[in-house]
Amino acid sequence: MSTSTSATTRLRGLSFRAIIAVVFAFLLLPVIIVVLTSFTTQSFPAIPQEGVSLAWYEQLLQDDKLINALTVSLVVATASAILSGIIGTIAAIGFVRAEFPYKQQVSTVMLLPMIISPVITGIALVRYFGTIQLPSGYPALVLGHTVLSLPYVFLLVRSELLTFDEDLERASRVLGADPVTTFRNVTGPIISPAILAGGFIAFVVSFGEFTATQFLISPGTSTVPVVIYTMLRTGLTPTINALSVVLIVIMLVVALSSRRLTSS
Amino acid sequence: MSVKQPGLSGLIHTVGEGLEGHVSNRHLALFGIGFVGLFFILPVLLLVPESLHLDSATPFESYRRVLNGIYIDAFVRSFLFGIVTTVVTLALAYLLSYYLAFATERVRIAMTLIIVPLWIAYIVRYFGILLFLSPAGPFADLTGIEPGLLFTTPAVIIGLANVYLPFAVLPLYNSLNAIDEELINASRVLGANKWRTIAKVIFPLSLPGLVAAGLIVFILAAGSFLGPAVLGGPRQTMIANVIAQAFLDNFNIQFASALAIVYTVLLVALLFVFNAVFSLQEVLEKI
Repeated sequence: MSTSTSATTRLRGLSFRAIIAVVFAFLLLPVIIVVLTSFTTQSFPAIPQEGVSLAWYEQLLQDDKLINALTVSLVVATASAILSGIIGTIAAIGFVRAEFPYKQQVSTVMLLPMIISPVITGIALVRYFGTIQLPSGYPALVLGHTVLSLPYVFLLVRSELLTFDEDLERASRVLGADPVTTFRNVTGPIISPAILAGGFIAFVVSFGEFTATQFLISPGTSTVPVVIYTMLRTGLTPTINALSVVLIVIMLVVALSSRRLTSS
Repeated sequence: MSVKQPGLSGLIHTVGEGLEGHVSNRHLALFGIGFVGLFFILPVLLLVPESLHLDSATPFESYRRVLNGIYIDAFVRSFLFGIVTTVVTLALAYLLSYYLAFATERVRIAMTLIIVPLWIAYIVRYFGILLFLSPAGPFADLTGIEPGLLFTTPAVIIGLANVYLPFAVLPLYNSLNAIDEELINASRVLGANKWRTIAKVIFPLSLPGLVAAGLIVFILAAGSFLGPAVLGGPRQTMIANVIAQAFLDNFNIQFASALAIVYTVLLVALLFVFNAVFSLQEVLEKI
């Protein structure tokens, strides 16, 4: 190969890498800019050029409405993660182990909450909860978020079960254990990392959900994304940034602990 | 986790014995479907009677209103923005996935960084793009360039592409990563240059991933509420915004339900057409 062609190859490699860098920046810069501008000393979101300030975080701590929204988000996300963890696991076991006609098509139904626009899920659920007289606020939010995060748990646990060695269960049954004991001592411990990962994903999905949630809230049970959206509408102050950063930190801590807990 | 209380273990054993032969895997699947049926399918189906003016002389009044030009425009815009977003996102995602799939181990750690945005709420990421595009925002402040894009169609597309990019990278990366290196080597040994190898070997083998990525991005983008709500103006209104507005601002539940039904039917019809060409089940499994 002549030196000129290897030079053009290298140049092509370089420009390709430059394009990749730009795409990467495109993906990550919006989040970085939200974090950076939360430390501004000014009264609007700006990149701190002369010193940083935590004033907007202090403001956040003094705002009862924001603290309340954080509490609601945490409670709802925890409750719906547990619920969808349990229901998703039961459904995944059933769908992997049972044989019935049109199984594949029927299991697509389990994924529908992911496919139908959350705005439709939102109005359908709020009307339905009204009809069955489910109290608005926490019950509506928890049940709604459970429905929305269920497909993620279902997919994760199902893919884990597809590689599961069923001989282990047969051995347990042959040795005299009943189905529940077998699940508790054999199946459960093996698939628990997938269930846990599913639960963590459900938590994150619930914690960040806005579109369907805006229909399900009632006075006093606003979640953090709803509060951020309302603040965006009323004018940009760096308090939105501070609240967004708190949201980012909680979501990332949950995601990272999920990785740590499920990889061991 | 193993609680060795005789009482609890005894109870579990009794429950287990009792369930023996009564609860089958079919029951478990039925329970899952039952839950989704009761708290998702049924509520969505109940939008049909909601959408009809049953006790009036004109039961299809809301559907007649859907045919009004401005609502047709919102439908067309949803599908159009969905398609444009899909094309932009697939192009960017293919570049990223190609780079990562054939990169060194050290570079692949970057994969984690592509997944990180998936863990961050949409609203925060749209807010970041809003800050970027704001005439008095940090970007304009630093560079002196005012990107006059906010509340325009490009702003909405940029937002949607940004938010859904990781969803496209995952299936694409997986399908590119699964390509047997020997096939690529064989193509090179047989005299094909880099571009011919990409066109004749790599691209065809990555098609299942590309289809999966395209489908998920299209579905999510066409049904997006936040993208146009945060980054668009009145001329970027998509169907999710019209439904939310009819429901929350105008309290017109019948009309919101009619719009929701029409959109769902159109989307399902589209998925049926798609299913005739590619298996929907196989595609969804890649996501």
